[in-house]
Amino acid sequence: MTKTDRSLLSRRSMLAIGTAALAAPMLGRRANAQTASLTVADPGGPFNAGFSKAFYEPFTAETGIEIVSVARDAEPTAQFKSIVETGSYIWDVCTLTLSARLILEQEDLLDDIQLDPALAENMMPGSVHSNFLGTDVYATISAFNTQSMENGPSSWADFWDTDAFPGRRALRRNPIDTLEQALMADGVAPEDLYPLDVDRAFAKLDEIKDHIDVWWTGGAQSTQLLQSGEVDMLAGWNARLQSAIDTGTPAELVWNQGLYSIEGWGLPKGGPNVDAARQFLAFCARPEQQALFTDDLSYGPTNLSAYEHISEERAKVLTTAPANLDGMVLADESWWEANRAEMTERFNLWLLM
Amino acid sequence: MSSVTSNISARGGALSRLKLGPLWLAAPALAFVAVFLLLPMLRLIGLSFSGEETAGVSLEHYQHLADTPIYMRILWITFRISILTAFFSVLLGYPVAAWLARLPDSSRNKWLFLVLLPFWTSYLVKTFAWMIMLGDRGLFNSILTGTGVTDGSLDLMYNEFGVLVGMVHAMMPLAILTMVPVMTGIDRRLPLAAGSLGAKRAQRFWLIEFPLAMPGVAAGGLLTFITSLGFFIVPAYLGGRGQTMLAQIIIMQVQELVNWAFAAVLSVMLVAAALVAIWIYDQFFGLSSLTQASSTGVKGSKKGAQWLRGAGQKVLAGLAWICSPFNRLGDRGDDGPKPVRAAYLGALFLFLLAPAIIVLPLAFTAEQALTFPPPSYSTRWFSEYFGSQIWISATLRSFGVAFATAILATVLGGMAALALARSDSKWGKTVFGLMLAPMIVPRIVIAVGLFYLMAQIGLVASNIGLIIGHTLLAIPFTFIAIGAVLKGYDWRLDQAAATLGAGRIKVLRLITLPLLRGGIISAALFAFVTSFDELTIALFISGGLKSTLPKQMWDDMYLQLNPTLAAVSVVVLVIVTAILLLAQRLQKS
Repeated sequence: MTKTDRSLLSRRSMLAIGTAALAAPMLGRRANAQTASLTVADPGGPFNAGFSKAFYEPFTAETGIEIVSVARDAEPTAQFKSIVETGSYIWDVCTLTLSARLILEQEDLLDDIQLDPALAENMMPGSVHSNFLGTDVYATISAFNTQSMENGPSSWADFWDTDAFPGRRALRRNPIDTLEQALMADGVAPEDLYPLDVDRAFAKLDEIKDHIDVWWTGGAQSTQLLQSGEVDMLAGWNARLQSAIDTGTPAELVWNQGLYSIEGWGLPKGGPNVDAARQFLAFCARPEQQALFTDDLSYGPTNLSAYEHISEERAKVLTTAPANLDGMVLADESWWEANRAEMTERFNLWLLM
Repeated sequence: MSSVTSNISARGGALSRLKLGPLWLAAPALAFVAVFLLLPMLRLIGLSFSGEETAGVSLEHYQHLADTPIYMRILWITFRISILTAFFSVLLGYPVAAWLARLPDSSRNKWLFLVLLPFWTSYLVKTFAWMIMLGDRGLFNSILTGTGVTDGSLDLMYNEFGVLVGMVHAMMPLAILTMVPVMTGIDRRLPLAAGSLGAKRAQRFWLIEFPLAMPGVAAGGLLTFITSLGFFIVPAYLGGRGQTMLAQIIIMQVQELVNWAFAAVLSVMLVAAALVAIWIYDQFFGLSSLTQASSTGVKGSKKGAQWLRGAGQKVLAGLAWICSPFNRLGDRGDDGPKPVRAAYLGALFLFLLAPAIIVLPLAFTAEQALTFPPPSYSTRWFSEYFGSQIWISATLRSFGVAFATAILATVLGGMAALALARSDSKWGKTVFGLMLAPMIVPRIVIAVGLFYLMAQIGLVASNIGLIIGHTLLAIPFTFIAIGAVLKGYDWRLDQAAATLGAGRIKVLRLITLPLLRGGIISAALFAFVTSFDELTIALFISGGLKSTLPKQMWDDMYLQLNPTLAAVSVVVLVIVTAILLLAQRLQKS
């Protein structure tokens, strides 16, 4: 019943009144010869700090092309659409999740990255596509405050066990990852999650519903929840939780039964600076560059050779460190792509009931 | 000029129906509203009836709406929260408005300034400050547990209470500002006369003062209700799982699920809800009483309202009777100190100003985390702000856009107000309604409609797109502000100048404009601040390097949430305060 109407905008824009002519001045594309600067959209926060050090500043130093970074919305799909369809390229490069990549690929809104295959040799499986360069691997895990809890939950079943682990809890206000967590709490093995048994997941969520004090929406909020002591345990993205720890919050991450996924660069189709953007992406595939962002952003580099440049100490908190990766599974983006609208609706209703 | 009007109407015939007289002055504003509000609205409605595959009209999205219980539930929650917000804003704001109305003009303006300040403080800043105050380890809970008032922390946030605190705080200034002008128009000798005839305090209030203030109360309630319908920041950050409002779902449909048609359906629903509220209001009070000035007494032109007014009188008499045992409570007499009232006013102003008070020290924290009170102080977050190209460019952009908006909205709204003041055409009411329409349609719907339009004409992420959107929002404000001064304007002055040989332009330049100066300045400043603080439209139409300051703050709150936000808030607060002070200064001189 649920239908996402993605074709609509483009169909409508064909019909757009004569005003479409106004878009004509957006010419002068492909005037690539001397790109002076690239506009790169990243998710802000620790990303911005980490990527500046690893990618933006060194790239400028090497090529003379300035990188201007801006923050993008959580889901830049709608913006991508309007950028490409109206030719107003406010970004040259933008970070995407794998699921956003899938949506944008289906709508033909991404440009080829034309990456030299040699650069992709030691990269994580699934992190390089013809139109996507994975830069970092993130994981949805849990964390607990070590000051308020001596003993934290070490699995989702523990997280659900409100008797053994009393305290204030937070989950993400989104069905993505949350349904998987409920299933794992109910005893489903991480490798058997997909396709998700949705009814079972919601039944399990019912059990914990009244014990969740905060349903967070933005990544920054999860950091703040842990940092301020608002909750004792929560689910969240590992780097967001780690950045609370990095600023002195007494907390511990639980990698067991985490779900990981890959984030990376995509190029809006037909952008004016596409050659320079490709050059930038190739730069970001280098292991020695990727190693640099891990100081500020504790996501795992996609180029596994990067670990040769990372201290053993820091490697422990990174997603792609073998010890952490072992207990985790890759989230299935294609399942979510097919079911997302329906699950979002059902989850939101469930929240209100 | 009025002779021209009468000439035209004297001509009669088919031509006079087309001639609008001075109403032509309203044409630019009308065209603007038609192209950037009505057209997008119509297209949204069209979109909501579009089918997935077929090209024709389809009800499938409405079918989906009806089949899925969630949306009716969210509509109900949206209504409930908006009604409660309107109720508490009016209820708690009433004593403040009544007190302000009795002050002498000069000191009233000073206190109104304190009411206006939180009104023009960015929603983001206010919400952010409430998060710090209401949290489980927040300021209030630390005070409560620290002083031993309560054993454990109270749940002040992530529930309906938190949402209502945030929303009432945001809306109360609007309620107060709407009630004050009506209350200043009440003849204060009336309650005195009633008292001398033996009416007790409860009777004086419920049977005399309150009915006279009713148009203001109703207008305040209506405006706060309609504005509340479109809220999304407060429920997102201060609400719990049960507080999802329609605007949040609309944003999600557009930005995450890219489902335009369904977003259109939800928008249509929201507009319908607002229109129903307005229709009810119009039945009882008449829409024109919305434009403050000195509308005295209930209009009650509609017959259908008669029985309800009768019933209302009975209710008020009942209230007077119920309250009569408490006649002796509280402050006595008309002179001398009034400790109860002073305490209430003090508490309320503290409530209104609390977010600003909280943000100030946080902006000077030396920590990375947002702990309050800060353990140590520094100016590092200001250096961060002033050193950041993104923040500075967003600030400059906001200034530019707000400046252009102020000029455009003042010219358009001012001409329309002038047209309406000089015309007695039957179209006047329609023009009036259209001028107020941008205030009546929830902002989120305007934003979605404009985004859909501008995505197609390449104005997304452009300054022009932002200026258009902000001007649309500011037109009702400038129209009302200038309209209010025009009501008291003596047109014979224009005529006198004209008989002395001044041409039209000269009259406008030397007589009309200088006399309207106060109204024009406040209109322009209203428009400026409306634009400077605007997020909803900026959320859709700005982006990337073209962000405005509120949009940049929103991104920061979502993605980063560190004390830079507090530092930026302080900068914004200083700017807005400076502008408001400047406005007062200019109006006086």
